[in-house]
Amino acid sequence: MKTIINGVKISLRAEWFDKDLLDFLREDLDLTGAKRGCGIGVCGTCVILINELPVQACKKTVADIVDMTVLTIEGMSNKDDPLHPLQQAFIDAGAIQCGFCTPGMVLTAHAFLLKNNCPSREEIRKAIKGNLCRCTGYQQIVDAIEEAARHYRK
Amino acid sequence: MSNYDSIDHVIGASLFLDDLPEPVNCLHAAICPSPVAHGKLKKINIDKALGIKGVITILTADSIPGENQIGTIIQDEPLLADKEVDFIGQPVALVVAGTARQADKAVKLIELEIEELPPVFDPRQAAANGDFIAPSRTLALGDIDKAWEKCATVVEGRTETGGQEHLYLEPQGSMAMPDERGGIMLYSSTQSPTAVQRVTSRVLGIAMHLVQVEVKRLGGGFGGKEDQATVYAVLAALAALHTSTSTKLILNRQQDMQYTGKRHPYSSDFKIGLDENGKILAYEVTYFQNAGAAADLSTAVLERSLYHATNAYYIPNVRITGHCCKTNNVPNTAFRGFGAPQALFVIESAIAKAAGMMKLPAWRIQEKNLLKEYDTFPYGARARQCHAKRAFSEILHSQKWEVTQKDIFNFNKNNSLIKKGAALMPICFGISFTTGFLNQAGALIHIYSDGSISVSTGAVEMGQGVNTKIIAIVAHTLGVNTDIITVQPTATRTVANTSPTAASAAADLNGMAAKLAADTLRLRLMDTAASRLGEHVSGISINNGKILLKGQPTELDWHALISDAYLSRINLSAQAHYATPDIYFDKNIEKGQPFAYYVYGTASIQVSVDILRGIVTIDAVNILHDAGRSLNQDIDRGQALGAIMQGIGWLTMEELVYNKEGRLLTDSLTTYKVPDIHSMPSEFNVSFMEDTDNPHAVLQSKGIGEPPFLYGTAAYFAIMNALIAARPDKPMFFNAPLTHEKILHFLTCE
Repeated sequence: MKTIINGVKISLRAEWFDKDLLDFLREDLDLTGAKRGCGIGVCGTCVILINELPVQACKKTVADIVDMTVLTIEGMSNKDDPLHPLQQAFIDAGAIQCGFCTPGMVLTAHAFLLKNNCPSREEIRKAIKGNLCRCTGYQQIVDAIEEAARHYRK
Repeated sequence: MSNYDSIDHVIGASLFLDDLPEPVNCLHAAICPSPVAHGKLKKINIDKALGIKGVITILTADSIPGENQIGTIIQDEPLLADKEVDFIGQPVALVVAGTARQADKAVKLIELEIEELPPVFDPRQAAANGDFIAPSRTLALGDIDKAWEKCATVVEGRTETGGQEHLYLEPQGSMAMPDERGGIMLYSSTQSPTAVQRVTSRVLGIAMHLVQVEVKRLGGGFGGKEDQATVYAVLAALAALHTSTSTKLILNRQQDMQYTGKRHPYSSDFKIGLDENGKILAYEVTYFQNAGAAADLSTAVLERSLYHATNAYYIPNVRITGHCCKTNNVPNTAFRGFGAPQALFVIESAIAKAAGMMKLPAWRIQEKNLLKEYDTFPYGARARQCHAKRAFSEILHSQKWEVTQKDIFNFNKNNSLIKKGAALMPICFGISFTTGFLNQAGALIHIYSDGSISVSTGAVEMGQGVNTKIIAIVAHTLGVNTDIITVQPTATRTVANTSPTAASAAADLNGMAAKLAADTLRLRLMDTAASRLGEHVSGISINNGKILLKGQPTELDWHALISDAYLSRINLSAQAHYATPDIYFDKNIEKGQPFAYYVYGTASIQVSVDILRGIVTIDAVNILHDAGRSLNQDIDRGQALGAIMQGIGWLTMEELVYNKEGRLLTDSLTTYKVPDIHSMPSEFNVSFMEDTDNPHAVLQSKGIGEPPFLYGTAAYFAIMNALIAARPDKPMFFNAPLTHEKILHFLTCE
């Protein structure tokens, strides 16, 4: 049994299946970009993508990623291009303050833009309704996603 | 320049406390909280809990080698309950185990024998019982008793404002490691590394130099980690001391919401008197602050309420009384605004109620009473560089306010299902810690032999961009680019005796200390350049990494100069200290000048209320704000937008609900509602006054963290105006938060 996380194939053992997926990522794989904000799947700080769909890792177990492709914030960019255009847009728009919500916010937006690369601001709002930010007031986050959309049209 | 931390944040590389690599065999601690709000602690039975696999030890008050005392302003709060419990969630014991799960499991098996005593949750009841944290205080100006008879209108009333959960997205946490010579190394998610160091030293009974505290960054603080982070750091340190093993203590969200203090709820009485033109002649107010079961920062919070009682208005006759009431709630604490928002809500309620009586729009009364230059505050200080009137009139103009008011009136006349409302909110916020001695900071700068620069200060980065501002200040002062400067984690070993990162003053204080250190280095380097070039120092300057002589480039650049200085054995390190000048206060006469300067501005907020469903939409928020010469407009705009949303959240949706035993029912994100993306106004603009100087802070800038929170107050009154348009038969009420439930109740009940 295997999974692919950020492009790397990882063999999974059955005894890990019951483990909280967020703990598995953070403790066993040292992928600490996904944060533990609420532990009950409502704040969005632990969002990762499983087969390009955003999920709250704190509500999943290792069994949920068997034969799946997982993307965490650490896998968003690649060596040739240290920042994905969406990440750059978050920086440019001032969409980041304390940074705790940022990985989940970016991945949620990424999954959304992969499906809808020409969104209205209203659609952007709906897409990130499950991600809380206590610092920014959200406007800059919507601006960043709107700006990044054009890169998904290419 | 965008926030210095942004790149690491956006790729997930920045480390928060819970992301730090754990030492080998790191233990995990969990708190056994008091299940009752008030009682005598008769017995703690830990036998069953000790039987849980992985449990190493269970610590109680008896395990404390030093003083069982974590109070800072007033020493009235034990670390672990001893003989008595005073609030639900108060730490009674600490389980230390191999894993967090084992520790949590053991906590449930601890048996507490508590003889319950009657609790008090109402600050007015506490005041009636004489239960105060500290003596009450009164500020006065003019002769209020004589002033009432001159008033054409006198209005009295009562207001309530609820508490507010900080909801920083990173919960409280700490990690303690035993160090050599019996010391402790602590990583803490705190806004006050020195407070953690001092209290750890007191509780463990070891000198402060044996306690090292380091903070890389916080995932939000908002005041919630100013005093409240200390308890978790000290508990982890106590566990590390007892087990001689590194110990980590992280709260989960529910524990964080249950155990930690909030914004203080206030219940207040007001009386306001005006002449026939709407000039306020007299204002009397009494605040009953719900401090909770221990002082924490309550007296300082109340002090700021007293100073901000009259907001941005000049009122000649004033009496302001504040009671710091002891209840059996969690000790309440700092939260952005620090008592000023509570005070502002009362004066604005008084104005709104008076306006209703006088058939005047509230904004006319606001406008007529704004502070002007040299007007006196009730505590004797005078308004200086006062932009209150200017901000207000520019907003009136830019928002075409009178036209907007007519449009809203006409809209409301023609629509029964949606009602619109609008309100203006002028603000005035004093910058400085009201506790005078805290207005100091230190900085340490090293320039390494390759020219790169390391800066350490006492400021804690929590998303507010203080490190980015400090880099800009150092770069500006030394004449170099920002990309060769790094800000180090905040650590008590590099900068000592720091004040909390709070009071909107972290960039002012630490930025000024960094500037002074950079000034020292610049002078040394200019001397070095002068002797190398064989010229007089007066012709030397450094700009953009180039060494200039009378403004012209020379053979020297920054790297060559630093190399030269190093080889010439010049000291490339400098430490500096800054203390805000000219601030003082005499508590005997309640007069003084507690603030270095004031921040002004005005907000306009427009809302629509769906009359059938009670749903509020914030249509437009427009702000004109005085940020002085902003050190970074992008950062300051971000701070303002976020603060306004928090202010709107506090007064419109964030509701803490308790059962009659005092247990918090809204202890999760499913029951406590904070602004989400749907709360974002569709029109949301913050403009800065472009030409306001401020000689009282670094590079003419102004503090930004807290003042914009006050603008959110306009949302309450805008919604209230819409509600009155729907139900002109009913009186306004002043009981925040103005939740969906209260709106529907107002609209539908007789």
